[in-house]
Amino acid sequence: MTNDKRMLIDRRNLLKIGGGLGVALAAPTILTRTAWANEQLTVADPGGPYGPGYRKAFYDPFEKATGIKVINVARDAEPTAQFRAMVETQSYSWDVCTLTLSARDILEKRDLLEPINLTAADAPGLMPDSLTPVWLGIDVYSTIMAYRTDKFDAAKAPASWTDFWNVEKFPGRRALRKNPIDTLEQALLADGVALDQLYPLDIERAYASLEKIKPHVDVWWTGGAQSSQLIQSGEVDLIALWNARAQAVIDGGAPVKIVWNQGLYSIEGWGIPKGSPRAEIARQFVKFCADPKQQAVFTEFLAYGPTNLKAYDSIPAERAAALPTSEANLKLMTIAREDWWSAHRSEMTERFNAWILG
Amino acid sequence: MTTTAVSHAVSPAPRRFRFGPLWLAAPGLAFLAVFFLVPVARLMGLSLEDADTGALTMAHYARIFDTDVYFRVLLITFRIAALTTLFSLLFGYPLAYWLARLPEHRRGTMILLVMVPFWTSYLVKSFAWVIVLGRTGVINQIGMGTGLLSEPLELLHNEFGVMVGMVHAMTPLAVLTMLPVMTGIDRRLTQASGTLGATPAKGFWLVYFPLSLPGAAAAGLLTFISSLGFFIVPALLGGRQQTMLAQLIIVQVQEILNWAFAGALAALMLTTALVTCWLYDRVFGLSSLSGEPSDGKSGRKGVLRGLGLAVLDALAGVSSAVSTGANRVLGQAVSTRMLAFYCALMFAFLMLPTLVVLPIGFTSSQFLEFPPPGYGLDWFRTYFTSDLWVAATIRSFGVAFATAIVATAIGGFAALALARSNSRWRGLIFALFLAPMIVPRIVIAVGLFYLFAQMGLVATDVGLVIGHTVLALPFAFVAIAAVLKSYDWRLDQAAATLGANRVQALRFVTVPLIKSGLTAAFLFAFITSFDELTVAIFVSGGVKTTLPKQMWDDMILQLNPTLAAVSVVVFIVVTTLLLAAERLRRSSQA
Repeated sequence: MTNDKRMLIDRRNLLKIGGGLGVALAAPTILTRTAWANEQLTVADPGGPYGPGYRKAFYDPFEKATGIKVINVARDAEPTAQFRAMVETQSYSWDVCTLTLSARDILEKRDLLEPINLTAADAPGLMPDSLTPVWLGIDVYSTIMAYRTDKFDAAKAPASWTDFWNVEKFPGRRALRKNPIDTLEQALLADGVALDQLYPLDIERAYASLEKIKPHVDVWWTGGAQSSQLIQSGEVDLIALWNARAQAVIDGGAPVKIVWNQGLYSIEGWGIPKGSPRAEIARQFVKFCADPKQQAVFTEFLAYGPTNLKAYDSIPAERAAALPTSEANLKLMTIAREDWWSAHRSEMTERFNAWILG
Repeated sequence: MTTTAVSHAVSPAPRRFRFGPLWLAAPGLAFLAVFFLVPVARLMGLSLEDADTGALTMAHYARIFDTDVYFRVLLITFRIAALTTLFSLLFGYPLAYWLARLPEHRRGTMILLVMVPFWTSYLVKSFAWVIVLGRTGVINQIGMGTGLLSEPLELLHNEFGVMVGMVHAMTPLAVLTMLPVMTGIDRRLTQASGTLGATPAKGFWLVYFPLSLPGAAAAGLLTFISSLGFFIVPALLGGRQQTMLAQLIIVQVQEILNWAFAGALAALMLTTALVTCWLYDRVFGLSSLSGEPSDGKSGRKGVLRGLGLAVLDALAGVSSAVSTGANRVLGQAVSTRMLAFYCALMFAFLMLPTLVVLPIGFTSSQFLEFPPPGYGLDWFRTYFTSDLWVAATIRSFGVAFATAIVATAIGGFAALALARSNSRWRGLIFALFLAPMIVPRIVIAVGLFYLFAQMGLVATDVGLVIGHTVLALPFAFVAIAAVLKSYDWRLDQAAATLGANRVQALRFVTVPLIKSGLTAAFLFAFITSFDELTVAIFVSGGVKTTLPKQMWDDMILQLNPTLAAVSVVVFIVVTTLLLAAERLRRSSQA
């Protein structure tokens, strides 16, 4: 916390010292911002295929409903550092930004998020995990297992993490993520821990289990695009990855199938930078995104599940089968508990890095 | 050794006004102080503070020593960087040697081939290697198809894969750094050794090779230090054990948001790099880059030099024997073409990823597959109809061009200043100009963001140019310093005796003679900016997006062939520009 304040004090002093120059430099931006204030909202989304999906589902309809223009920019995959820098220097390039649960918790702990003033009563049908005072979840993604159907018959295909760990019965090349998040859970599930009894994670047991699969993991992937490429090209036959990446590969015609059983889901959604001058408009926008009909539109573009389960009223059954929050899929999975991870992430990352080198 | 003699001859002159020539470095020093030292020091300062109380603490540093993981990663980083340097020099030296001996007009065209890898982004190149080296990749498909292989080779997700990617990325840098020094070597010296009875092998090892060493040493330092900061290549091509320090720092900055610990790790990396520079100074002398006379150490140097000469003499003997043997086995005609043949292989290696990427731009598939299952222009349509992509491309070219001009000017004056100065501050100033290469880019990027926010430069093109100039300066500076090392200052004195003032001497004598170094500096700076991602992410705020940033954004969910289509467009634009420039240069000479 003190760091943050120090940075701010530095900034003020520097502005004072810089005097006229600083003000003169800053003035044009401030003036244009005020002029825009009632007409424009800058939204940072994950970019790529999210852009068109969010635009159709949220940005355009919001513009139509309110007359406020939505500009979207692509944020970095891990926007926390930029978010922090933005709030501490009060140079708000974004008014709303998509955040994962972990990004939300990190930012909230440092008091960098603005309240969204939305209650469960405002948005009936919303999953309980997708609303906090500073954040609204809008889509659900899941870490699942996928396999090549040209390698395994449907009847004899792996169906659980225990199967993934069973190299005799299911021979093939395997890939896991080079990150403790989700991987520790998978190791515990493989070792027979029940889905609803994962947390708090039994670290020693998880590493003992990981030790067994270590010699059989051919690739440890680090980026989402890499994970799709691995399974699409047949570099590996079995992989742990995010469901939409697997779905994109399937939609592209590759012989790949998703195993929803024992999946670990998580949520991403909107947060507003603390102190943003356009926080009020941003709140309107966030509230608008809780609407089930808008969320249903988004699922046409990407295989992420809506957080407002009422959205399934208007989603075709065929598409629902590919989404993490459809009833059939959701009951096979559990949420990756962010409260546990935010308390242990630093220490777990260190241990995992040490383990993987050994 | 002639160069040392020249520096000795010159040294009395600058001694008259002690700080004199150093003033030329002032713009560079001021620039680095404001846009590099201050932002980085402020961020690194966090590593000495307690996150909650702000009190002075060594806790973040103590944490590094609590476990051995950071030292192991440091060791891996060192090992990968050292091997990359070794192989880039080993593979690059003969290529640079061959290029240096070509007639000038042909050399120009061939240099364009060396630079081909530069015009494909790191991101795309790395994925191209995945496509080439993968288990179902090009090499294994050919091997299995022709029956040469019974099992696919493990070429990827291990140290070999990382080496291929890194050496491929660094060899052009090594070649282009060595080349200006090699073209500056008077070839009559080797001929003279021949007339005096030396075999060609002796002539090479005892005359040419020592004269080319400053170039090789500069190339080695540049390659090593830039390799230390790599993170995309090891992440995509490496396996379980190829983790580099930059990757850990990025995780701390971006995912865990523990900037204090990131600062401590960055300090570890900085220390390593500084120790390397110090060792380099002991062995080659930083002076080998900027021409300081090495008096006072001559006794020890004498022993070292004797040892060096003995080694070179032995090498000459060995290569002489090998070439006689080769002549006998292969015949004179074949063995004289060996070097050209080797260079053709090197060109093939350098161009391979680009050759894989270009057809993928025309694929009908949704994926980066090679060979493409069908052809079409869909991905070009996606590219050209997207305002974002087109704007990003134009901005990238503009920002890179501006960066190249600024960095060459600032770096050039600084190199000139250091080459002519005898001040005891030289070593320090030299290290400062190299420092932006050593500090992890993510640290510079975050630091700059704070500074730019105060100056209203966030999400501006000016901000991007300044940020990129900080990163490009070391490359521009070293490229120019390396040619100045073998520059004969008596020419300037001659110009002065003929009545030229300092500016005229610079304009009509120095600049035309060090043109090759200036061109290299300009190109390095251009490429540094053109392929830069980290600073672009922070400074652009997603609003003013550059090409690598746009590619990165597009890659988040899935890799689609738009990236390849973009590479095709960039490749065509750059090749056209370079060919036009080459033609212009030739017609102006004719």
